[in-house]
Amino acid sequence: MDDLARARRFRPGPRLVSLLVGGAAAVLVLYPIAFLIQASLSTGDPQARPPDAYGLDNFADLPRYGHIFGNTVAVAVAATAMAIVLGFVMGWILSRTNVPGRGTLEQLMALPYYVTPLMGALAWSLIGSPSGGFLNQVWRALGGEAHLIDVTTPYGIAWVMALFEGSVAFVMIGAVMKSMDPALEEASQVLGAGRLRTMLRITLPLVMPGVLGAAIFVFAEMLGSFSAALVLGLPSRFYVVTTAMYQLVSQYPPQFPRAAAMGVSLFAVMFAMVYVYRRIVQAGSYATITGKAFRARAMDVGGLRWPLLAVCGAYLAIAVLLPIVTLAYASVQRLATAFPRADNFTLANYQTALSLDAVRTALWDSLLLGFGTASIGVLLMGFLAWMIYRSRLPGVGVIEYVLMFPQAVPRLVFAFGMLWAWLIFPIPIYGTLWLLLIAYLTVFLPLGLRTIAGVMLQIDRSLEESAQMCGASWGYRMRTVTMPLLRPGLIAAWLLLFVASVRELGASILLMGPKAKVITPTIVESWFSTSTELTAAMALLQTLAVGVALVLLFTVARRAAQHPGE
Amino acid sequence: MPDHETSITRRQVLKTAALLAAAPMLGAGQPAAAQAPVKSTKVLDFQTGADVARAEQEGEVVYYSHDGEAGIAALLDGFRKDFPKIKTSYVRAQTGALYAKITAERSANRFVADVLQLSDISPAIDFQKKGGYEQYVSPEHAAYKAAYQSAPGGYFTWAGVTFAGIAYNRSKVKPEQAPKAWKDILSPAYKDGISAKLSTSGMQHMQWYTLRKLYGADFWQEFAKQRPKGFDSRAQLFDRLAKGDDRVCALAEYAGYTLFKEKGAEIDFVAPADGLPATPALIGVVNRAPHPEAAKLFVDWALSNRGQSVYQTQTILLYGSVRNDAPPMATGKKLSDFKLLFPSDWTDFQASHGTFVKEWNALMGL
Repeated sequence: MDDLARARRFRPGPRLVSLLVGGAAAVLVLYPIAFLIQASLSTGDPQARPPDAYGLDNFADLPRYGHIFGNTVAVAVAATAMAIVLGFVMGWILSRTNVPGRGTLEQLMALPYYVTPLMGALAWSLIGSPSGGFLNQVWRALGGEAHLIDVTTPYGIAWVMALFEGSVAFVMIGAVMKSMDPALEEASQVLGAGRLRTMLRITLPLVMPGVLGAAIFVFAEMLGSFSAALVLGLPSRFYVVTTAMYQLVSQYPPQFPRAAAMGVSLFAVMFAMVYVYRRIVQAGSYATITGKAFRARAMDVGGLRWPLLAVCGAYLAIAVLLPIVTLAYASVQRLATAFPRADNFTLANYQTALSLDAVRTALWDSLLLGFGTASIGVLLMGFLAWMIYRSRLPGVGVIEYVLMFPQAVPRLVFAFGMLWAWLIFPIPIYGTLWLLLIAYLTVFLPLGLRTIAGVMLQIDRSLEESAQMCGASWGYRMRTVTMPLLRPGLIAAWLLLFVASVRELGASILLMGPKAKVITPTIVESWFSTSTELTAAMALLQTLAVGVALVLLFTVARRAAQHPGE
Repeated sequence: MPDHETSITRRQVLKTAALLAAAPMLGAGQPAAAQAPVKSTKVLDFQTGADVARAEQEGEVVYYSHDGEAGIAALLDGFRKDFPKIKTSYVRAQTGALYAKITAERSANRFVADVLQLSDISPAIDFQKKGGYEQYVSPEHAAYKAAYQSAPGGYFTWAGVTFAGIAYNRSKVKPEQAPKAWKDILSPAYKDGISAKLSTSGMQHMQWYTLRKLYGADFWQEFAKQRPKGFDSRAQLFDRLAKGDDRVCALAEYAGYTLFKEKGAEIDFVAPADGLPATPALIGVVNRAPHPEAAKLFVDWALSNRGQSVYQTQTILLYGSVRNDAPPMATGKKLSDFKLLFPSDWTDFQASHGTFVKEWNALMGL
């Protein structure tokens, strides 16, 4: 009876739960990484598993790919700068100003993220290829010489990456801005500071953790960017690390060790970024949600709201409307051209796309996986964010570094680690959707963690400590104080994870099994093996399915997210 | 039956399991003897060595292929029409990645694939050496010359042949300036406007090898000065050529040309008099396939006239058949209508792969 009573009294404390969850997450990451590092040190037969000889030859060989590393960093820096500026400006307009139609615009503004990078790259390739690009065709028809724009240059690639892979910056920065007490900005304005000065001197420093988190995340995302560089880079012989690695592992015999060494060398870059982020966050106080109640209010920007509305409209037109219209136009043609011709129109691309089993099952599987990854991921990553930034438990700094690993390795390479790791795992999940679920939860740990952490760092510890002083248990505090305050970050993270999963490419290409297919690799395969027009039809069908799913989810989320205080 | 004949100890089970697990490794490098054709039965209008009833009982065949989604779908649809009780599923990847995936699976004792088709003979021979194929001599092999089968027979067979010439965009290149021979692709007029495939392609290896034999190693060094653009697939090459993004395609597969010509692209195909580099698609039953009878049935079907007609008439595939009794392709032409270039020494061809990859990667700026 004593044992039973003790068992009933047992409540797992934060230390035990943290140890279990943090440990499990670390294993998820480190298990495949170990295989990847092992492969990078393989100097014998590149196909031998486990390696038959070890050494540092693959790393010593990397300098001959110096130009590719240079290309990668240059494009990633340019794309990150563009994405953060766009994300900050859009986040500020929609979170902090009274621009008309804010609510609707805010939802529309996340659309570029829902447009997959592959779809964006395909669309911009149709718009801005030097010869066949629609815009350049029109330019020449009007008497212009050569081409007006060329998206296959490094700047063009960075532009497309910023538009589609960097739109996550808006969601991350926007979530932080929404959680900021407007009294601070109002105080600045009362004291005579102008709107711009208030934005630069008050808003920007306060959202710095969110901006930094977004910058690090986006930069890492750009380092691992694949689709835009693949579609737009190859025509100009411009390789980045991911496209080079893709070639190395696709050729026969596959050069895994060299590709793994390339991936592992990116760890150093990512470690440096995480280190800087932690130093900045630890050095300052960014808490803006304190015990003092506030109501999120927008700043009155007067007549400026119309130009700001135009900025939002222009962004949406370039990042969403133009690509979708372009792809829709291409998808109903036999051979895509800027100038319509009756005999060139066809619906055959849609008939073919819908007749492919792969498309139908892959779409459903992708949506299912997106839902599972987002729902489990928010719980897992929310807890991990709390553990790292709130719990003061020993060793959480190390866990943060570990959990950032997947961001440092392009997913295509990480997938090889996962392939080798989960192939030999005794439980037969290889080739099933379960493996893809585990893969997504692993590779998106940094995404979920950064998004939630950006908001969590703004919540003053005193709120939890007050509840603790009042006698609330850890679980009760989490449920009634931390989680409700985190709600905007959690919802943003859920949506990001959902969309990120549905559009995931790098990891899925290798981990798909004959009965576990997802949609984005299927579309890439179509681009490789059929035509731009059929691929456009497939990409639009994917967007439509994601759109319908999101409308349903938004409706449910809106009901669930009614803030009690509002 | 005496007890001692049926009782199995735990040690025996473990021993057997260990031997089974090691079987592929044990088989590695061991030259297998030629196998006699299996007992065959007629089904529909072709011969099969598979037990059709058991194949239907297995109910599934898993196909690993380098072909595109739409091409694979066309082939599997054809098979399902003939055998509706057998479900089909597939994994598609570039030959290199596909080979990496299947070898990784097998090294971990995961046996997922039933049938494997590769577009490059080097990995196929490698897979054979590793004991990856089941040695199954299809009754349909009778219609194939020994040159179109693995040595010894029964591991893989040529399911079809694809070949390449030169193609150009008519709106970008005037007919009088159009290339006519292989050496014309070195013309400065096409600099920065010419495309080929990347080193991931078996077809590209074949072109590199055969033209090097004809014109010497300098040929490709001269070609490098053209700053050619490299892509993974024929679809990408012709997509760009049709849109005028490239003026000339130096590795224009006939199948890609036919597909885009049908769509109304303003392109022309040139078959140089010296010949057209050609490469086979190689199909075989995988050793320790989860659905062995269905796998045999599928390969028999694919090599039969029924399967070959899908390969030959679906424009998304358009492989030429090397069957002795092959009818013409969808274009009305037979393989024999073209002068095809194959290596005279396949061992030398296979051995050249490493040099090709290194040279071609550098040529493409990688």
